[in-house]
Amino acid sequence: MSLDGASPLDCKTGIFAGLKVADFTWAAAGPIATKQLSDNGATVVKIESFKHPDSIRLGGPFIDDKPGINRSGFFADFHSSKLGIAVDMSNPEAIEIIRPLIEWADVVAESFRPGVMKKWGLDYESLKAINPSVVMLSSSLYGADGPWSRHPGYGAQGQALAGVHGMTGWPDRAPAMPKGAYSDSVSPRYALSALVAALIHREKTGEGQHVELSQVEATTQLLAPELLIYQATGEEITRQGSRKAGSIVHGVFPCEGEERWIALEAVTEDQWSALSAVLDRADALAAARAEGPDALEASVAEATAPWDAFALMAACREAGVPAGVANKASDLLEDDVFAARDHFWPLHHEEMGTLKYNGPAYRFERTPSDLRFASPRLGEHTDQVMAGILGYDDARIAELRERGLLG
Amino acid sequence: MTAAKQALSGVRVLELSALAGAVAGRVLADLGAEVIKVEPEGGEAFRRSEPTVPTSLGEESGAWLAFNHGKKSVTLDVDTDAGLDTFARLCATADIVVTDWERLSIAQMDRLGTAARAANPALVWTEILPFGRGAPYQDYAATDTTLQALGGHLYLNGDVDRPPVRISLPVGLIQGGAEAASAALMAYYHSLKTGEGQRVDISVQECIVWTLLNSTMAWQILGLNEMRGGAIRKERANRFFTRLVWETQDGYIFFGPVGGGGGAARIKSYEALVNWMNEDGFNDPILTKNDWNGDGQFFISQDDYDAVTAVIMAFIKTKTTEELMERAVRERILLAPISSVAGVFENRQFRARGLFRKLDDPARGLSVELPSHWANLSATPLADPHPAPAPGADTDAILAMEPEGSLT
Repeated sequence: MSLDGASPLDCKTGIFAGLKVADFTWAAAGPIATKQLSDNGATVVKIESFKHPDSIRLGGPFIDDKPGINRSGFFADFHSSKLGIAVDMSNPEAIEIIRPLIEWADVVAESFRPGVMKKWGLDYESLKAINPSVVMLSSSLYGADGPWSRHPGYGAQGQALAGVHGMTGWPDRAPAMPKGAYSDSVSPRYALSALVAALIHREKTGEGQHVELSQVEATTQLLAPELLIYQATGEEITRQGSRKAGSIVHGVFPCEGEERWIALEAVTEDQWSALSAVLDRADALAAARAEGPDALEASVAEATAPWDAFALMAACREAGVPAGVANKASDLLEDDVFAARDHFWPLHHEEMGTLKYNGPAYRFERTPSDLRFASPRLGEHTDQVMAGILGYDDARIAELRERGLLG
Repeated sequence: MTAAKQALSGVRVLELSALAGAVAGRVLADLGAEVIKVEPEGGEAFRRSEPTVPTSLGEESGAWLAFNHGKKSVTLDVDTDAGLDTFARLCATADIVVTDWERLSIAQMDRLGTAARAANPALVWTEILPFGRGAPYQDYAATDTTLQALGGHLYLNGDVDRPPVRISLPVGLIQGGAEAASAALMAYYHSLKTGEGQRVDISVQECIVWTLLNSTMAWQILGLNEMRGGAIRKERANRFFTRLVWETQDGYIFFGPVGGGGGAARIKSYEALVNWMNEDGFNDPILTKNDWNGDGQFFISQDDYDAVTAVIMAFIKTKTTEELMERAVRERILLAPISSVAGVFENRQFRARGLFRKLDDPARGLSVELPSHWANLSATPLADPHPAPAPGADTDAILAMEPEGSLT
């Protein structure tokens, strides 16, 4: 940990300094939302069942390519600045530990399949009985009710159902699967907006509440225009490759080297002239443009192929033409803009060494975010939380561990 | 407006936007804020962006209508000194301003932002930018697709025999808008408690990076740059290709029946599939030849993966998407329809939960359902859709409430 002597239990700076969060979320969508709390000063206690730890601890990439519960970079990136405690949630007596944490918390967050929290006696009605002003966030793939609510699934199913997968790829082929799990990255933004709005309401009125959302439904916001157009005109918009109506050039073109590509776009005649000048073949491009989009794209591709992708991007930027190298992950770690913006945060972890964690996409001018320390090892902060938050002495902690409740 | 109390009741938001800022305003309006669009005479340019739909008011942008219902509109020429003065007075009554680079240049943001924040030190001034604040990159030309590329997502999408391909939606702009809403609310929470306003800037490139999930860690830890795959790809760090997109009788599903990474849910899902296939007479020995989802999956040959894929593909082709999903839900098979726009609109899970809410807009002759109920807040429900404003519809009412000079 790189705490410089500060207690991980009590952060003094950041928008959420003093906010207390009991975090039961797992996988990606939930932890990405609560990371925005911990990286902005909240005390976030991640409660994990040591018999069934967060499943993405078992998802790679693993340090040295060797699987291990504390070795996943996938898990690490979503858990900066969070405290981790390990509890046997399958033991009904675990409520002895959980109940005081609920009393302590301002926010309880979870992302289980609907029914799991209720089984533990931790549904919203039960939480409210313990802590009347608590704000509970429940985020699940399909939502808390409806015919599919208990159906298991991952973000890959989510992005298919939300329509994002179907909008990706070539019109003459099967839809191409977008990398990742789009509902895992879109839904946290909506979950966080709703959660913070609920905290604002609580700040003004003292009233807590339950915020419940379906990750797939939040992701359908990306298709709101297409849904409106479909109803208003009967036209069903679908994937269009990399073309876009209304643009003169809108595509992805080859550059020098293995799998080097650049996205180029010319919407206005000025941009078109500037691009033609950069590529130094105005006549050939004009002739190809007159022939149609296939000929135009072939001609642009021929012109870009000998270019170094980054040099071409720089030339386009100089000329005011929108251009973007199709960055590989390795490029992102070396990206000038990210470096200037301090996007990556090097954090040290006892088993994983120092890795660069992704910081947020926003910057607060006066209350900067701070990725204070690396992701917790399973149960890393169990004793600290029991002593520092619940006020248990060593004998009590030993007794809880003796009974198999603590990991 | 909706009578029920809402989380952001009493919060006033000003919006100077194209798409991304409108999405931010959309989220805040859904949560109950009063969102006032500040537009030039005749309305902002984005009202007319392609593709449009015909309404009684003429051709209007589908995206504009989808993200601007339930807001107010004030027309104001903010480029004049008098307009700037009026804008600053309006900002004195507001809590949050949201804007984006497709509507305002950096110079315009600086000019307006300085006046606004002088008029209201508690104000949250929110900017959505391609790369965020900070010279020199803040001035680079950028669009949604170039940002899909620069954020590292585009490289990973598409078939290997063609160039990488974009998502045919402005995903970066919309996620930038949603991110801006949450960041603006965090800053407003701080302002509410301390009286301190501030500028918040959002980078769409950074929003795109957050869609990768584990790619930047995979590079650091394994030196691995993942490769795109359309329907067939090497998942995670697999050494073999598996099929993930399958054609049904009437569409496509997403499904990773074999080699998907293990776990009890995947093992049970595959067993349920094989049982169903057996019922239908599909019982090729390849189906049970290997430990397709257990520890052994990483050592199975590509030939075997191809062979089992052929058998499963033939079976799936005999079923409709609806049949597949119905049985999947019943028996916990981990597949999902790859929904078209119509599929999203008709999805029975969304319908059962009330995601879609009616927007009746008689002035436009428009009656549609929008996916506007994206969360359930037990004490402060989201707002239902109301018609989008005509340009300047609320100019008199809103500016009349702030008599000249009273706030300066």
